[in-house]
Amino acid sequence: MPSSRAPVILPFQIHSRRCRAKLDSSVLSPMEQRLKDSIGIEQFLQDNKPLSPQAMASIRSLIVNPHTSDPMLSSVLETLTRSLQIGGDSLYLHHTLKLLTDLASHHPNLSAPILDLLRSNSLLSSESPGLATEFVSAMASISSSVIEVEEASFVSLCFGPSVSARMWLLRNAEMFGVRRSVLLAVLLGFTRDPYPYVRKAALDGLVNLCENGDFEDRDVVEGCCCCAVELLQDTEDCVRSAAVRAVRVWGKMLVAYIEESNKIDCSDAIFIQICSMVRDMNVEVRLQAFDALGKIGPVSEDILLQTLSKKVLGITKEKKSSRYCPMEWLEIPASNAAGIIVHGLEDEFYEVRMSACYSLRTLTVFSAKFAGEALNLLMDMLNDDSRSVRLQALETMHQMATCDHLKMEETHMHTFVGTLFDNNAFIRSAARKILKIVKLRKLKLFKQCIDSLLANLETYPQDEVDIFSVLFYTGRNHGNFTVHIIMEVSKEIEPVFRGKLSLDSPRVAAFLVLAISAPLSQEKMANRIPPSIFSYAATLLGRISHALSDVMSKDTLLVYLSKCSQSSDFSLTDFEREGLSLPALGSDAPPRTCLETSSSVKMPLLDIGNKASEVLSQKLPALREWSTSHVVCQQRELDELRKFVNIIFGKVNDLWLLVQSGFTTEALKTLRTCREEVGTFPKESPGSAGMLAFTEQYIRVVKLLTEVWQHLVPTRKIRSYGMGNLEIILEKLDRRLRDMRSRFIGLSIEEELQILDLTVVACLLRFSKVEFCCYHNTLKRLSSTISRVEFLYKKGSLDPSNFLTEVKKSLHEIGTYIGGGPCKSFVIRRLLNSFSLKQFSLCGSPRYANAELEVPGNDSENPLPFVSGLPACIPLEITFHNILNENRLWLRITLSEESTQFVFLDLNLTGGGNDVRKFTFMASCYLTPNVASFTLRVCIGMECLFEDIHLAKGSRGPKRELTYISPEKEIYLSMRLKTE
Amino acid sequence: MPIECLVLGAGQEVGKSCVVVSINGKRIMFDCGMHMGYADSNRYPDFSRISDAGDFNSALSCVIITHFHLDHIGALPYFTQVLGYKGPVYMTYPTKALAPIMLEDYRKNMDRRGEEEQFTSQHIEECMKRVIAVDLKQTVQVDKDLQIRAYYAGHVLGAAMFYAKVGDAAIVYTGDYNTIADRHLGAAQIERLQLDLLITESTYANSVRDSKYNREGEFLKAVHKCVAAGGKVLIPTFALGRAQEICLLLEDYWERMNLKVPIYFSAGLTIQANMYYKMLVNWTSQKVKETYVTHNAFDFKHVQTFDRSLINAPGPCVLFATPGMLSGGYSLEVFMQWAPCEGNLVTLPGYCVVGTIGYKLMSGKPTRINLDKDTQIDVRCQVHQLSFSAHTDAKGIMDLVKFLSPKNAILVHGEKPKMAILKERIESELGIPCFYPANNETVSISSTGHVKAHASDTFIQRCLSPNFKFLKCGVPDKSASGSKCTEGISRLQVVDERVADSILVEQKCKKAKVIHQDELLLMLGEKEHEVKFAYCCPIRIEKSVQTGSKDLSSTDNQHLGLDKRSLLELLSVKLSNKLSEGNIQDFGEHLQIESFHVSVCLKDKCSHRTSNSIENQSELVFFCCNWSVADEKLAWNIISIMECCTLNTT
Repeated sequence: MPSSRAPVILPFQIHSRRCRAKLDSSVLSPMEQRLKDSIGIEQFLQDNKPLSPQAMASIRSLIVNPHTSDPMLSSVLETLTRSLQIGGDSLYLHHTLKLLTDLASHHPNLSAPILDLLRSNSLLSSESPGLATEFVSAMASISSSVIEVEEASFVSLCFGPSVSARMWLLRNAEMFGVRRSVLLAVLLGFTRDPYPYVRKAALDGLVNLCENGDFEDRDVVEGCCCCAVELLQDTEDCVRSAAVRAVRVWGKMLVAYIEESNKIDCSDAIFIQICSMVRDMNVEVRLQAFDALGKIGPVSEDILLQTLSKKVLGITKEKKSSRYCPMEWLEIPASNAAGIIVHGLEDEFYEVRMSACYSLRTLTVFSAKFAGEALNLLMDMLNDDSRSVRLQALETMHQMATCDHLKMEETHMHTFVGTLFDNNAFIRSAARKILKIVKLRKLKLFKQCIDSLLANLETYPQDEVDIFSVLFYTGRNHGNFTVHIIMEVSKEIEPVFRGKLSLDSPRVAAFLVLAISAPLSQEKMANRIPPSIFSYAATLLGRISHALSDVMSKDTLLVYLSKCSQSSDFSLTDFEREGLSLPALGSDAPPRTCLETSSSVKMPLLDIGNKASEVLSQKLPALREWSTSHVVCQQRELDELRKFVNIIFGKVNDLWLLVQSGFTTEALKTLRTCREEVGTFPKESPGSAGMLAFTEQYIRVVKLLTEVWQHLVPTRKIRSYGMGNLEIILEKLDRRLRDMRSRFIGLSIEEELQILDLTVVACLLRFSKVEFCCYHNTLKRLSSTISRVEFLYKKGSLDPSNFLTEVKKSLHEIGTYIGGGPCKSFVIRRLLNSFSLKQFSLCGSPRYANAELEVPGNDSENPLPFVSGLPACIPLEITFHNILNENRLWLRITLSEESTQFVFLDLNLTGGGNDVRKFTFMASCYLTPNVASFTLRVCIGMECLFEDIHLAKGSRGPKRELTYISPEKEIYLSMRLKTE
Repeated sequence: MPIECLVLGAGQEVGKSCVVVSINGKRIMFDCGMHMGYADSNRYPDFSRISDAGDFNSALSCVIITHFHLDHIGALPYFTQVLGYKGPVYMTYPTKALAPIMLEDYRKNMDRRGEEEQFTSQHIEECMKRVIAVDLKQTVQVDKDLQIRAYYAGHVLGAAMFYAKVGDAAIVYTGDYNTIADRHLGAAQIERLQLDLLITESTYANSVRDSKYNREGEFLKAVHKCVAAGGKVLIPTFALGRAQEICLLLEDYWERMNLKVPIYFSAGLTIQANMYYKMLVNWTSQKVKETYVTHNAFDFKHVQTFDRSLINAPGPCVLFATPGMLSGGYSLEVFMQWAPCEGNLVTLPGYCVVGTIGYKLMSGKPTRINLDKDTQIDVRCQVHQLSFSAHTDAKGIMDLVKFLSPKNAILVHGEKPKMAILKERIESELGIPCFYPANNETVSISSTGHVKAHASDTFIQRCLSPNFKFLKCGVPDKSASGSKCTEGISRLQVVDERVADSILVEQKCKKAKVIHQDELLLMLGEKEHEVKFAYCCPIRIEKSVQTGSKDLSSTDNQHLGLDKRSLLELLSVKLSNKLSEGNIQDFGEHLQIESFHVSVCLKDKCSHRTSNSIENQSELVFFCCNWSVADEKLAWNIISIMECCTLNTT
């Protein structure tokens, strides 16, 4: 009897299969032979009759069973092939196809013949488009690459009466390598289909199409945009939400095509169109709408202000249609924008509220007045019942503060200060982050802030580190106010206030932190802090320096405190003259909570004095526990860090919109904040060091790109660099990119591709701006980069990004217009416009190649001896991290600008593993001048293996460009020996 | 058949909502409320207008109640038990659960005031027994033709908007609704429906409310300040809705701020109401629904039950007490104790009935209130007002009307002057005819007619397969500087009108049928008519060989036959030299270019010949041309070539 269940796997069967595999693979086991007979495969092959459902079920179980032998499988394949050729009704073919796809997915080695089979048979069923689509979809599921389907047959399949087939085809249209113009026509046509899901699929397809490149024809763009706008009124929710997306992307594209004078009107009109969807009854539509609002780009201030008021403002009432419609189909009264932000913020669904808060992030950048009024609403959001919404509101405020658009008023204080007392640590830390950078305009507000920070310290003593850091930053931002407050409480700070020593009370410590920050502000009264306070602060050195670890080291702090306690007019400039450096204002620390594990270990070291041992003994069990779970912890920490870093990448990505719309200053500001945020992380573990170094490098690159970009886009505040300056930036950009490519080991293909993308952009920028010099080299670099990209795409079997395909296409064109010209610059401009920064996401933890150089015991007091005219020997202690054996390293010894000497470092001589190797290298310097003493600057460079450009310098020296992997070290040499 | 809408209550006023709508022969009564401001017969809607004979059972198909407020349900026991309506009554589950509490409470109060009893407890109980409860979005088939469906309306627990459909005519009656969610209730939600009529409330027809967050923030600030200073907070509320809303607000704040101050609920109605809220989580806001799995938001963590002994206990506390307007009962008792202390706080709702203590507190800031002759209360405590409105504002109404885009709109439950303003807005901004009838007036609107029709196979086939076209609409760009003049730019448009290609055919004694336009002729057995143009065009002939006959018309037929052919050949050559477009086909007897058809005309008097070409007939050969409208341009092009050319015959 034919069995329809999966064959029972018996131990002996597995055993026998293993043995047989050695002997002969073409013979079936007796068990399988019996099974084959019972299914009736032989019979079937002879009779040319369709398989019975039972037989099919048995075949299926054979396919699913991982222990089915290869010969059995091949006979199954043969059966199915025959079954496909015999044909039958569509249901029968459907089942056969299903079996074939199952077979391919369970046994990947068979997928190639199955694919061939399907390809040769797919034409058989062209009379039924539903079945033909099934063939295609089966092929798509088996093959991982683009399926070659003729355009004509694709279109005719789409036009068939089967709706589900049509939907499937539209959804997967990108898989078939159909020309974009054809696809556009098909998709556009189907936006009028009576079936809502077809309409949705068509709209989604249009969105994809638009996101992956641009169109030459303005009419087409306008047509698509108009079509999407019409579908905003669709009866089906899913279509409306897809339409909102489509209006967003096509609207943006349309704005790009419109002449400069009408641009803002057009983008206003699109904005208002989307505003009209904010009151939709469907959550998904509302979400999409808010998402879109944040991404549209610059909008006029009066429209923005209208979004905050449900009442239609006078201004908006008048400007009904005359101004806001460059095109009659976009005509919509501006009153549609009335109060939409208010509506979004009081929406029932927290996702929508969050999205509304998020869209405010970008919108507040455009107008200070709008930001001021939106703040009133945002403040109310701090009482929201969803934590995510509160957090997002705070994030938005932080963003506003970085753009200096956050104007705190007294009415806001109660609510805002309330968040400092929230029982959630994230909320508290987000609120403090804002306080760090916000500029308060009134002493009263400042006092209120300081008071609540102090109260905060009492309620949450565990937040001390963060609170101290905030106090220090706000103190620095408001020098005069700080002095005011310190004067008032100076009695309290005195050690013998009310007859008891109170220095170690948190309140006094907090005041001390506040006080010592004052001299660093550049305000007038800043130096009026009594010097004695600095000496009090010095007694709490450990505690304070821990809190300020992101600002200055313990030693620096000590020097600073002692200088300040000696003279009362120590100021920021003095501080800098001392050779100390401070991070720029406006930085902020990462949320401490992310890395609780590491800080809990540091904690015991904080306290000085007799308390320390007590605390240590308390913490000891925790320490022990920590060391055992160290590895696990580290992994978790890394994951945590990666998450954080990826958030930073997201932020940077968001910024690109600003850059493109010309808000360079704001973007640079935020980038700086990002970098400082990254800079505050400890870089102890090898994994995190690499990751952080990478992130920093990436941010630097984006910063440089931004700086160059403003030469392309008309900015609001034009800050023009000279051409020479631009060259320097471009040079820096190249160096950074080279660094990224050569110094980080273990980047995935995707990651490397993104770096290469940036390299291509850098080359293009060079073409567009620096006209004549090094043209040839740049071209060479561009083509070598692109060939590398192609190689990587092939290797990773990925689809090349649109931008790169475009560049590749135009490569030839660029090459022919040597020397520049209007045509060339147009091509370049078009290419650059099609570039958009992609969200970078780090999935591994790249290792970071770097080196340390040390000459033990050498400083200006203890120089190395040398004899003028003879080579000098320099004993260098070198530590390499993550240097591979194939790297070519050079020691660069510089005496002055003119005389540089390269020494090759043979890695084979060093020994040790790849991770860390440490050795002493005797470098000889041939260039000793005829002087009594001199200094040499030494550093280690690595050849960039990918660079094809050979340096034409003399034979002794590196062949390719170097990237320097160690800081430059100064070495002092002197004829006179110290002992003399 | 028109839809008739008879407004029995809440027409140009707020109170006793009751609207009777007849659609396609069905009559539905929406809401059956009472007016709280009257004690006479005006209290109830004038039911006699439904049926003079008092036979409500045959006059009404069903009664639908939107929510449990007395101005929407107050007259129901009277209508069913006293007037004897026996038909079905629909309301949502929570309304069915909470309505008896409300009705009983009202009856008791009436009793207490010594008014004449309109219905008894027994009546309420009996009445509720006949109620059919419905769920949200559940389609209920009242009878064969009438469907009703409830949609979430916000406002109060269990409030619903009702959709009713008879045949193709459909209406929505909103009842009271709120388009903005608060903490314990969600926002009204409805689908895009094809409606003939929307009957909407218009309580705030002319005011736009700002965000309630600000008021909440102020309230929290006041309460926090009071308890932080050790004061006591009294929150007099009505048991249902407001108490839960404020309590959720406080709970959340307590949780966030780690406050430990106790919150008390005075026993009684509130506890029972809380229980209902806990059970009916499905009808609450999104947040409550989402957290329900882990924690029922109405299980208030910080709330304890109050004990009379706690009134004068030291330390701060927050107390919820009924009734809401300090008109008596527990809240007044506590108020008397707490009012004299400056540190305490009492928060009042936005609206208090004239004459209550609440009203006195709100109007001005009295320092002393005379309760009765003997008792006086020194009021030194702070007073805070917190109004929550559960009605939508003008913008909400406009948004809903815009979203639903009905063919007509009727406003009820509002004040006349404000309704007039809203009506203007709806008509001018949305272009929807709008009415606001007074009580006992009837509005009649036309409804969508519908025909049942068969569809032909071809029609169905054509509907299935795509049929889209791209059109360029607008004036094409004339000038090179066209990019500047925006209206001159043409625009790409997509149309796919499969249904428009079809025709509805209604024949006598046959069922109506929808067919595709191609089938029409076949069905009618008619031939297609085509408009054709004709012109008989003269062409000059030059004879290079003199042997040919002098008079063309007199030569014998055979010769002519050959000649005809050669003439056409000559013409064909000429045309193909000069004509850039079109493909010339030679069929022997005639030439054809697209639909243009030309042959030699031998008639003496061809009707297509124009008279002025008579002269010199001997040298002319006539060619008869005809063509269809589509190729008109081409045709005149060819004719102009033909008229200018000369044929050289050999």
